[in-house]
Amino acid sequence: MISVRHLTFAYPLTSTASLWDVSFDVPAGQFCAVVGPNRAGKSTLCYALSGFIPHFYRGEISGEVVVADMVVAATPLAALVGKVGLVFQNPFNQITGARMTVRGEVAFGMENLGVPREDMLIRVNEALEMVGLSGLADRSPAQLSGGQQQRLALASVLVLRPQVLILDEPTSQLDPLGTREVFTVLARLVEAGGTTVILVEHKLEWVGAFADRVIALAGGQIIADAPPRDVLNSPEAAAAGVGQTRYTQAARRARESALSTAAGALPVTLEQAVRFFSSRSVDEHIA
Amino acid sequence: MTSSFSLYAPRASRYHDLHPLTKLAISAAIMIAGAGLGGVWPAFAVFFAVALPLAIWGKVAISLLRAVWPIALPFAISLFLIRGFIWPGGTIIATLGPISLKAEGLEFALAALGRIVAMVSAFLLLSLTTAPDALMLALTERGFPPMIAYIVLTTIQIVPRFQARAATILDAQRSRGLETEGWLPRRLRALLPLVTPLILSSLVDVEERAIALEARAFSRVGVKTSLLVLRDTPFQRTARWLIVVILAAVMGLRFVPGIAP
Repeated sequence: MISVRHLTFAYPLTSTASLWDVSFDVPAGQFCAVVGPNRAGKSTLCYALSGFIPHFYRGEISGEVVVADMVVAATPLAALVGKVGLVFQNPFNQITGARMTVRGEVAFGMENLGVPREDMLIRVNEALEMVGLSGLADRSPAQLSGGQQQRLALASVLVLRPQVLILDEPTSQLDPLGTREVFTVLARLVEAGGTTVILVEHKLEWVGAFADRVIALAGGQIIADAPPRDVLNSPEAAAAGVGQTRYTQAARRARESALSTAAGALPVTLEQAVRFFSSRSVDEHIA
Repeated sequence: MTSSFSLYAPRASRYHDLHPLTKLAISAAIMIAGAGLGGVWPAFAVFFAVALPLAIWGKVAISLLRAVWPIALPFAISLFLIRGFIWPGGTIIATLGPISLKAEGLEFALAALGRIVAMVSAFLLLSLTTAPDALMLALTERGFPPMIAYIVLTTIQIVPRFQARAATILDAQRSRGLETEGWLPRRLRALLPLVTPLILSSLVDVEERAIALEARAFSRVGVKTSLLVLRDTPFQRTARWLIVVILAAVMGLRFVPGIAP
């Protein structure tokens, strides 16, 4: 579904490349998380996959990005929009303000794509139901909370039925409740299947719980690309500033202080942590 | 903080149900007739005989009156004081020490007030009963540029947000010791640290908003559709033309020398 070959990109007026010789493939239906410290090139990668590089942000680019059988650089943005959806950080700035109601905001993209009205009505209702905003369809988008606005942004993109959904830190400006709301929608989407998801996210506990695969970026390069437990556990990724989940940190401390002698990889999810800490060796130690 | 800068008051009324262009034509007629017809009484007649009954029909009369008087009253007071007392020559009605009240001055003030009331009420009648997006859709359907329609609609929604951000910046700078009260030079000096972050943060927003718009295929060329549907009737179409014709006739009569009353 996604194929990136030797992608290198530098923004105008910068001397260092934001992405440096990045190559990877993502099969259809995969939930792929992208992690890494600030300025690692995560947002740049999102723009490159969704076509805003090179169509919106011009700069020096080499290599090739193919998404949903389209060569991104050779496809106009408007043609990419229906296939590749982009959701980003700031909930408020994603509300276009072109329409006065939540329903109208969700329909705006379809209006521009010329979708017939009957189809729009059905799809708007579906999208609002999916993100749990059905009851707020006639409200003004500005009246919604941050979490609700982010779900509205998600609905506005989902309603276009993209094959690839790209989310650039969609929960960074949300409180824990708002974060949970957004991830609940993503979980539902993944369960329904079919959509390929690229998620840039700092909240590693969520990444560990949801992603099929984690790509770690640092300094514009891929430093790890493996299942969540391998990447979030790796000392190299931690050293590069990727960070570790609370579960991993707690388990590592426990192991270092010989509180736990459980063998194998450290946990990255709650379930794995429960298994780690309830293994017999801990009980024996405490006894 | 209100969520929208729009005056629109949704009500279940037949006037609300009219096509936005019909309401635009009516308001334009009230405005032009109120301002263009000479004399003291036509403007008030337009207000009491047309604008107010329509506002009552549209169930927005109270909102309209509530919005008209804070605008009209200061005008009324200053007009009566300045024009009533300072009028060269004319018939003296009453004398107050060195100044005297003139009949012609009062008449002029009353006529000016009538015009203001008619124009403001025409604007309010349209704004209170017409959703901004419906009006913009009606205009774009007739060739109005979508980009300008978008700017109007988004401004309506962004202004309250902008005000909230300005208030946040004001609080933030005050908490760092910026003095924003006192004599004028001090206030002026405080302006720069308030306006700069407001403009810079808004510029960052513009970039993200442009991306959000493009992510919804805003600049796509081709046939577009609309979720909102406007109901128009042959009767309203005829009525709109009639309004234009009658208005043109009345104004024509007024400005053709010799026929004017």
